[in-house]
Amino acid sequence: MIEKGKISGLQMAILLYPTIVATAELVLPAITGEVAKQDMWLSPIWASFFGYLSVLIAYRLHSYYPKETLLQYSETIAGKIPGKLIGCGILFFLLHTNGMNLRDFGEFVNGNFLEQTPLTVTIASMAFVCALAVRGGLEVMARSSQIFVPVFILLFMFIVVLLIPALNPGNIAPVLGEGLTPSIKGALVPTQWFNELFLISFLLPYLGENENGLKWGMITTTLIMITLVITNLLALLLFGDITSSFTYPIMDAARYISVADFLQHVEAVEMAIWVTGMFIKISVFYYAAVIGLAQLLNLSDYRPIVFPIGLLLISISMWAAPNLQKLTHFSSTTWPFYALLFQMIIPILLLLAVITRKKFSKTQLS
Amino acid sequence: MKLLQNKGKQLLTITLCVIPIFLSGCWDRSEVNDLALIVGMGLDRTDEGDIELSAQIVNPKAMGGQGSSENSQSGGQPVTVKTGTGKTIFDARSKLQEKVSRRLFEGHNRIVVIGKALAERGIRQHIDFFARFPNPRLRANVFFADGKASEILKIMPNFEQDSAEVARELAELRIGMKVTTKDLLQQLASESGATALPRILVDKSDSGEELRVNGTAVFKHNQLIGQIDDALTRGLLWVTDEIETASVTLQPKDAKDYISFKLLRSSTELIPTIKNGKWKMTITITSEDDVVENETKLDMMDPKIIDKLQKQLNKRIRKRIKMVLDDVQEGMEADVFGFADAFHRKYPKQWKKAEDKWDETFPEIEVAIKSDVKIRRPGRSGGPQGVPQDKEATE
Repeated sequence: MIEKGKISGLQMAILLYPTIVATAELVLPAITGEVAKQDMWLSPIWASFFGYLSVLIAYRLHSYYPKETLLQYSETIAGKIPGKLIGCGILFFLLHTNGMNLRDFGEFVNGNFLEQTPLTVTIASMAFVCALAVRGGLEVMARSSQIFVPVFILLFMFIVVLLIPALNPGNIAPVLGEGLTPSIKGALVPTQWFNELFLISFLLPYLGENENGLKWGMITTTLIMITLVITNLLALLLFGDITSSFTYPIMDAARYISVADFLQHVEAVEMAIWVTGMFIKISVFYYAAVIGLAQLLNLSDYRPIVFPIGLLLISISMWAAPNLQKLTHFSSTTWPFYALLFQMIIPILLLLAVITRKKFSKTQLS
Repeated sequence: MKLLQNKGKQLLTITLCVIPIFLSGCWDRSEVNDLALIVGMGLDRTDEGDIELSAQIVNPKAMGGQGSSENSQSGGQPVTVKTGTGKTIFDARSKLQEKVSRRLFEGHNRIVVIGKALAERGIRQHIDFFARFPNPRLRANVFFADGKASEILKIMPNFEQDSAEVARELAELRIGMKVTTKDLLQQLASESGATALPRILVDKSDSGEELRVNGTAVFKHNQLIGQIDDALTRGLLWVTDEIETASVTLQPKDAKDYISFKLLRSSTELIPTIKNGKWKMTITITSEDDVVENETKLDMMDPKIIDKLQKQLNKRIRKRIKMVLDDVQEGMEADVFGFADAFHRKYPKQWKKAEDKWDETFPEIEVAIKSDVKIRRPGRSGGPQGVPQDKEATE
């Protein structure tokens, strides 16, 4: 195996948690609010079912091939050439999605704080930091996120608590005023964020012995779901009907904080949350892509390809979309279906193939 | 070259070479002494139909040197007001920038004052700037000026540094309504189609000019349709559950003198009902008061007297609310009370059908007012002060 590090179940959870929450925390209220209106806080709950399913599928596949990642066993299951093709598809998806993540990061930082700074500079500096983390290996990433994630959660709680006086609980009514449909429709995009948990299949092989991957996967999904429900409730109770009219509702919520006339202007906190979260998110996607490519090409070490892939990521992030409008449009219309194919359908097909083959071979044997 | 053979050191060297590239240019560097901090903004409409933006800018010379007399002579006023005119707010802002040597910065803007001439042409189109441009915050308080907004900003108050701070503090005291940019955005987007803004006035007296929050401006479908005075505004605050500080002074029956009460807390509930297609609203108010002044000879410890006073207080509150309902619900037909939201929340299905006809439905809604005042304590004294024990009046 080219990755020699081992991580614990908790570390895996701590890597995956910001991987989903980071992007969602900022734009989820705007995207779900658009269709789900005052029921938007229910959407993450429906979407989380896909998260559980994703973890379950990855874990089942893992139990058949405990030492291999998604790209390796797809080759074993589907055969050499089709397996490599699937691998290429998944790699493309990882790189593309990560490019979009990087772009999201850059757009946010440039749109809200560093207006004059070239987008490339913001993106490239983030990519560089992530490259160093990925180059350090899985253990390094896990340990750095052990430092960052508590800070991430603490700062998020800070914003939530400070906003409580400004919230209006009445905004939540009428609950299910138009039935379940709006909240389920609102779950479409978050569903695919939850499906990003399929990345667990790149981490499970490196879990230390005696670690319960399934248990930690489920815990992670639940924590993510709770965080996203809180995020949506926060935006809903503060802004009500106008939530979806903001680009980054939580950002505007953080700017709204004013306690006793002196504790205000805390948007830097929101920025810190976003940057730490995005750092881990991009690193995890980046790591999956790097290790995937190394396995696809049967390299003996993945370190030499870290920086080249980083350059590719920067380019992809620039190519991803001409502006924020198109980026948002793509990631809320096309991307969910495109992601569904790689994050859910391919793993399901692989799992079905394994199960039927096992059954078939058993009947042959007996 | 031996140094570079170590892989770690190679990386370090590369990093050290790369870092200076980023140090050479700081695109978004902004020093405090390059910024003109705007603390208040006023919007007016010129006779040509353009927007006149007035900005209250902190005077850097007057800052920091408050203690020394030398500075206060040369520094002058703590804030200055500059104006610019343009087609949009941002256009006016760029004209304004031409007159200011520092970069304008709205991050600390506390108030937005909308002048009458502009408000008459609608406010929705102008508020977008405050929710789109990166600098302004949604927390800024919005006011309506029954004249020119720039006049309000030009007032130099006695207590605070600038008029923006006075206006914000007055809003915070809840003498009138408190509307932030966020609240205004919500009101404009709400189903009721009505908006209310606190009215700010200049109070001229011998001791100088001071600001005063007094009354409310009512908008319907983005049109200014009327203004209500202070007394009605208090009634409106009772309905919208925004009342925080209130003093009520009563003249008990058969008494010449007055008793004053101080409101401790109050909560209002709007309970909508739809029965047989008839829409009805019940306003339930529960509040607690303390006696703070008693001019009469009545004993404030007597439960019977307190009962009577409570009844009188209830009547007073109901009358207040009735007044504002007559004026705003039936007169202006503008739903600034949040009835639409209350109906939508409780009856989403019926609301969906009646949504378009709300303007016709609203004035017809039957309103019942229930008030439950509880007088909690007599204050520091029990019986009337300065009256011999045996001369105290009983009822």
